[in-house]
Amino acid sequence: MPKCTVNGIEVEVKDGATVIEAFMKTNESIAHYCWHPGLSVAGVCRMCMVEIEGNPRLQIACNTPVQDGMVVYNNSEKVKEAVEWTLKFHLINHPLDCPICDQAGECGLQEYYMSHGSYDSEMAERKVKKHKVVDLGEKVVLDTERCILCSRCVRFTDEVTKTNELGIFNRGDRSEIGTFENRPLNNKYSLNTVDICPVGALTSKDFRFRQRVWFLKSFETICQGCSAGCNVQAYYNENGFYRVKPVPNEEVNGHWMCDEGRDVYKFANKEHRLVSGIKKEDSGLSHMAPGAAAVQLREDLSDTKKAALVLTGQYTTEEYLKFVDSFTKNYGNEVYHWINNPKTFDDFDGILLRGDKNPNTVGLLRVLEGKGIKSSWADLEEKLNSGQIEHLVVAGPENLAVFPDLEEKVTLFGQAQKLTVLTPVKSKFYESADYQIPMKSFMEKDGTFVNHKGIEQKLGRGPIVVSQALTLLDLSMILDGSDFISVNSASMGGSL
Amino acid sequence: MEAKLLSEHYSDDSYIGLEGYKSKGGYAELKTAFKMKPEEIIEVVKQSGLRGRGGAGFPTGVKWGFLPKNGEPRYLLCNADEGEPGTFKDRVMMERAPHQLIEGMIISGFAVGSHKAYIYVRGEYMDSVRILEKAIQEAYAAGYLGKNILGSGFDFDLDVYRGAGAYICGEETGMISSLEGKKGQPKLKPPFPAIQGYLKKPTIVNNVETLAAVKYIIRDGAEGYRKYGTEKSAGTKLFSVSGDVNKPGVYEVPLGYSLMDLINNECGGMREGRKLKAVIPGGSSAPVLTAEETGRATMDYECLAEMGSMLGSGAVIIIDETRCMVDMLKVILHFYHHESCGQCTPCREGTGWLEKIVRSIVDGNGRLQDIDLLNRVAENMKGRTICALSDAAALPTMSFIQKFREEFEFFIREGRSQVKG
Ligand SMILES: Cc1cc2nc3c(=O)[nH]c(=O)nc-3n(C[C@H](O)[C@H](O)[C@H](O)COP(=O)(O)O)c2cc1C
Ligand code: SF4
Ligand code: SF4
Ligand code: SF4
Ligand code: FES
Repeated sequence: MPKCTVNGIEVEVKDGATVIEAFMKTNESIAHYCWHPGLSVAGVCRMCMVEIEGNPRLQIACNTPVQDGMVVYNNSEKVKEAVEWTLKFHLINHPLDCPICDQAGECGLQEYYMSHGSYDSEMAERKVKKHKVVDLGEKVVLDTERCILCSRCVRFTDEVTKTNELGIFNRGDRSEIGTFENRPLNNKYSLNTVDICPVGALTSKDFRFRQRVWFLKSFETICQGCSAGCNVQAYYNENGFYRVKPVPNEEVNGHWMCDEGRDVYKFANKEHRLVSGIKKEDSGLSHMAPGAAAVQLREDLSDTKKAALVLTGQYTTEEYLKFVDSFTKNYGNEVYHWINNPKTFDDFDGILLRGDKNPNTVGLLRVLEGKGIKSSWADLEEKLNSGQIEHLVVAGPENLAVFPDLEEKVTLFGQAQKLTVLTPVKSKFYESADYQIPMKSFMEKDGTFVNHKGIEQKLGRGPIVVSQALTLLDLSMILDGSDFISVNSASMGGSL
Repeated sequence: MEAKLLSEHYSDDSYIGLEGYKSKGGYAELKTAFKMKPEEIIEVVKQSGLRGRGGAGFPTGVKWGFLPKNGEPRYLLCNADEGEPGTFKDRVMMERAPHQLIEGMIISGFAVGSHKAYIYVRGEYMDSVRILEKAIQEAYAAGYLGKNILGSGFDFDLDVYRGAGAYICGEETGMISSLEGKKGQPKLKPPFPAIQGYLKKPTIVNNVETLAAVKYIIRDGAEGYRKYGTEKSAGTKLFSVSGDVNKPGVYEVPLGYSLMDLINNECGGMREGRKLKAVIPGGSSAPVLTAEETGRATMDYECLAEMGSMLGSGAVIIIDETRCMVDMLKVILHFYHHESCGQCTPCREGTGWLEKIVRSIVDGNGRLQDIDLLNRVAENMKGRTICALSDAAALPTMSFIQKFREEFEFFIREGRSQVKG
């Protein structure tokens, strides 16, 4: 393992590591646009200049392998001036339309301008005009004037998705990113290009113009979209959630996440949510507080001889543990696992996306196994069809889009004499249920998801969207006899 | 005096065909080479002091020595892209003596252990391609190319690849990208081509003239070759002389030859009795020499380096007193701006910026601070990029300003050329 000195700090790196990786290890800052830890080295932005003792020429840190004993620094006047000039080169043809640019506030040009630049442009001549608002595909828009040609997006589609939609066309200062003919940027990971674009050249159609980034707060959590369990940062303000972006985790998702996962925030927002408990009465639907609906459910269940529980892989391990416990203790061992898409359940696209569209199937299976529960779906179907189930309780999904069998399954469930649906989101298919009880979304709770590999990951807890929605933990307490919910929104770190 | 080593038979039309070539000693050195060990050839080439004729002047034998010493497949690429403004000697070589290049390449391929080679020819050189292709067919038919050449057990295949007209494909790694079917743009180094080049295999790239010269090193031995030239610049060199002389053309002279002699003897002196003003001695990217410097210059790597310029590809551009240096710089910068591949920010943005500033001056909109700005922009483009194209734009800019500053100042002040009025 070679050692080197970075701005006077000694650091040991892996064999073959580059100088920029040594900088990353020390937390010494080093400007860079084209280098990205998840992509090959391009060495084109020329921002990462360093001085290496014994070498009169400045070198780029991203393509210089560390040699044992190397003494490197980037805080000398020589390096600072070089970086300032490289930034100047980046900016001479840049439109500087920050006031109308979505990247403003998290832009690499703005950031380095503040730390390395702060001068007026010396170019008196006209800037090169290029294309603006280029539609690259279903999700991404390009502004070629803002592009600094770092080639990250091109390398992403070449190396990660291997779909090769993007290229740099023309040459010199007429170079522009674009897509090849009849090959729009529509791969399943296209929005990662927006994340890695250091400037406002690539923007997400979903997020574009909806919110200034400095008005957003964020927290880290786990994507709910599939069993991969990608680590994400979720962004929100008082009006709701706005986007999620991947957080690097070598073991789980590398640096990326899929485009489907980008949508998971939507189901946590108010417009999709079930906000009150609903009980079907002869006179119609009666709305009540979620806790009150749960208490009525308990009473209803107390004189039921044959109750059953259906679980989806959409809840936390902690919830399963406690809820399965209370349910079986109170109503017997009838617990079933609803697999939403059995035909594609084991699919894997070779990158991240898993066919199992549940974040915690493994957690659920572990809990059922731990409790010695073995049940087959066919059994449940038979019992429902032959009218043997008196009251069926279903802990339903959060993202209805990945439950193509929802309508069919709810119809099947309807054969029970009574049906209770526990759900974070509303759906017209649930309207026939006897009870609908609002649940918290994954954005609003603590707990653990176990991904397909068996890696346990903790959720981060964000703000509350539906203030009185329950978790399965709350519901267990109620089923166990408690009449009030000790955990409410006030203790959950603020609400929206 | 001209020293016709490579170009001895260039005026003889029959030398183009195989029979004519053989009648003048063609393919004799190939037989000699096959009697040697590949390492011996590399050693002789090292001893000969041959330096790359494509621009950088890197010692050829040393470059060959960088190849990994194992049986890994490797490629030999001949750089015939010849894009540097002012350079046209490779074309003459290919069109007047295609077999000379082919023979040089077989010997070089044998030396470096390559069984597959390409000649990457500048896209506009249709005649060169046609002539080379014909010669290659002749060589295959005669058993100089293909399997078990002349019973030596050595196999060697050679193909011509036509470029599409981008100057940047003359940069060796740009050429490799282009040959690989990618956009012609230089690759980041390390890794260097000798370690990982064409198709990620070890690769040697040499200029047409370099490879052809190998034949004569085998013929005359290292010592024999060193009879021409100087200690650090051995052998002869073909110079492409253009501009304001009476007889522009390709001339082969020993390295170390006086630049004034080249102008006056070989090229018949200045045109119409005009006065010499400046010379660009090594292609448009080489820093310009004043008339006074030209008087002292000898055409070798060390003298021109000492004068702050370079021998480059040996393209000598003669400039007389009627030429406006501001205008000339504009033309040069237009070229590099147009040809920058655009990967590296300083080159992509800097080449355009330099051209724009000089254009402003020529259009009468120059500002006095522009001279200093040109210098600073150029200074910050130099040595900061993947390939040397950025330097190729920066160096002439800095030298033009340094040596002809008053012409720039006049143009800015008066809004017109000092020379042309
Ligand atoms: C922008 C650029 C253009 C070049 N064009 C040519 C060319 O047209 N022909 C050539 O032989 N070398 C050219 N070179 C030099 C090559 O990169 C390389 O050094 C050369 O082919 C090596 O051969 P040599 O060692 O025999 O000179 C160019 C270099 C640069 C930076
Ligand atoms: S990319 Fe950055 S610098 Fe450019 S307009 Fe957008 S926010 Fe401003
Ligand atoms: S669009 Fe963004 S990521 Fe792609 S090359 Fe331009 S600046 Fe880089
Ligand atoms: S220096 Fe210029 S021509 Fe060379 S690789 Fe960089 S951008 Fe391309
Ligand atoms: S980060 Fe090193 S050159 Fe771009």
